[in-house]
Amino acid sequence: MTHGRLSPFLRQRLLFLLAGNIALLVAIAFTMKQGGSFAEVLHRCGPNVAPVVLAGLGMTGIICTGSIDLSIGSIIVVAGTVFGILVHRQWPPLPCFIVCVATAWGLSAANGLLIRKLKMPAIIITLAGLPLYRGLALIIADLAIPGFGGSLDVQRDDYHAPGKQFANAILLTALAAALFWEWFASTPRKWRALGSSEEACRLAGLNPHSIRQSAFLVGGMFLGLASLIFVTQIQFIEPARLALGFELQVIGAVILGGTNIFGGEGSYAGTALGALFLYFTAQWMTYAGISPYYQEAITGALIIGVIGMDCALHRKRKRLEELA
Amino acid sequence: MRRWLLPFILLAEIALFTTLSGQTFTSASDAGSYFQSYFADLICQSAPVLLLAFGMTIVLMTAGIDLSVGSLVALVACVMSSFPAGAEFWWTAVPLGLALALLLGATNGALIAWLDVPPIIATLGTMILYRGLCFVVMGDLEKSPFLAVPAYEWLGQISGAALLVLLTFIAGGFWLKRSRWLREILMLGGNPVAARYAGIPVPRRIVQVYSLVGLLGFLAALTFTARNSSVSASSLTGLELQVIVAVVLGGTRVQGGLGSLMGTFYGVLIIAVMDEGLRGAANWGSEHLPFKISHLEYALLGLLLVVGVWLNTREKTHRPGSSKG
Repeated sequence: MTHGRLSPFLRQRLLFLLAGNIALLVAIAFTMKQGGSFAEVLHRCGPNVAPVVLAGLGMTGIICTGSIDLSIGSIIVVAGTVFGILVHRQWPPLPCFIVCVATAWGLSAANGLLIRKLKMPAIIITLAGLPLYRGLALIIADLAIPGFGGSLDVQRDDYHAPGKQFANAILLTALAAALFWEWFASTPRKWRALGSSEEACRLAGLNPHSIRQSAFLVGGMFLGLASLIFVTQIQFIEPARLALGFELQVIGAVILGGTNIFGGEGSYAGTALGALFLYFTAQWMTYAGISPYYQEAITGALIIGVIGMDCALHRKRKRLEELA
Repeated sequence: MRRWLLPFILLAEIALFTTLSGQTFTSASDAGSYFQSYFADLICQSAPVLLLAFGMTIVLMTAGIDLSVGSLVALVACVMSSFPAGAEFWWTAVPLGLALALLLGATNGALIAWLDVPPIIATLGTMILYRGLCFVVMGDLEKSPFLAVPAYEWLGQISGAALLVLLTFIAGGFWLKRSRWLREILMLGGNPVAARYAGIPVPRRIVQVYSLVGLLGFLAALTFTARNSSVSASSLTGLELQVIVAVVLGGTRVQGGLGSLMGTFYGVLIIAVMDEGLRGAANWGSEHLPFKISHLEYALLGLLLVVGVWLNTREKTHRPGSSKG
């Protein structure tokens, strides 16, 4: 954020999402059946929404620089598989957690490095990473566990601590740190500068490559936390099926939060609100008794509606900029 | 990668996987009949991807992308499967499926052209929407009226599938190669502002391109349902990725303005041969490798894509206005 001055577009989007979230919470409170507790809904929200929000924070920075990471779902799979193997080898919980976070961080950094070294668009490298990392996870599992049957099970409770007990704390700490950092640090501004114009960035004496790399490094840290919470919530880690389509869910939340898909504009607060908006919509539909078969279609229509309306409203401004 | 390299990669792949599958030939006619059925299977199997990849190539030329193709084909197939089987299927379900496919494609185009939504976001949204509509139409059911429709099976056999694919690629390819339409598409992919000042109706062209994907999606739905005979709401998930990887491997630039239909054809076949070949090499793999050979498919797909595009960017084949890769 530009030191307290949000662009009118982002301010509008944040207000819209804030109002939308409050409206959805009120709607949930009214449609809740007797005996349901509203505090319970809020408490459960943290663990459920944490992976998308955390991965979304990382993705926001990456998209701000004009790149994208399509391989985050598969990176979570590798982190989860490594975690499952270590649990299988009966390592104590803490090292397992650390290795899980480090794996995701390392792969995200590797994406950044490959983009830099091979000089290829981020969308291609990470599109390749999408099948590559998932295949890697399956091969690692095959090699580490003889007779691997497709699923790693994690039974003991202490291995589930980050996903089940501390998810709220991790989410709130990370979010607060991110917002604080975004407000005061210069790096997020450099990301947006790079996303606006790589040429201008270079001429201003900034190094576009290291700025892009830093977005992937910071994104990797958030992705590491996201994968830790993601994989410690479940009992069975199936590398072939885990986190399928997760990247689309995250990108959906990020762009709903007002981040420009071509870079140059975006905010952490918007991403968090966007992810909450999608989650509360799904919750409300469940409480309102809407058939689960309709829910996906309604979510899709909602994303198209919000973004379509927005793009249409900015059409004229874009045309004028083109003439200038 | 130069385009002439692609057929050689394809041939090398076929040779490698035929050896690994443990196939032995006693005579030339034996080998001839083996490869005849091999290629027939290959074309039938990959007909939906081939058809969609043709459309996706043109979409990528406009600097767009269509993530919704998998959901689009599934939705068309789901709606068609809700009609009763019998001869009347041909004049109820089939025309309706065609109309629906064109409508869904045009919706994508309208969002992109008239509401100015970036293509990746618009089609991400419609991908979720169309898949959701599949669930609305089908619920948990799996329907299979297709084989009870007279003459429908022909579409999934080699004569029908090959006819559709070859007609699309040869006739469509030849016409496009010489058409003003394709040159306008390449130009608006290269520089949309310049294209508008040159008098090209950019929004109309974009709607036409995405409607063409809809039309090809309808043909893909026909070949898919005729071969697989049943469809459910979660059919064809992840198809869009397969299509995009094939097109990019074939030498089309994701930034638009450059693409090759022939390259796309080889790109699809290279992936299909690898897919089929790894399945055939399962025996060899279980003897020689410490992991399941089918797990190698994902990794190879990713590596192929990176290496292919890396060679492509190194070559610097970009000539403005050229449709060759």
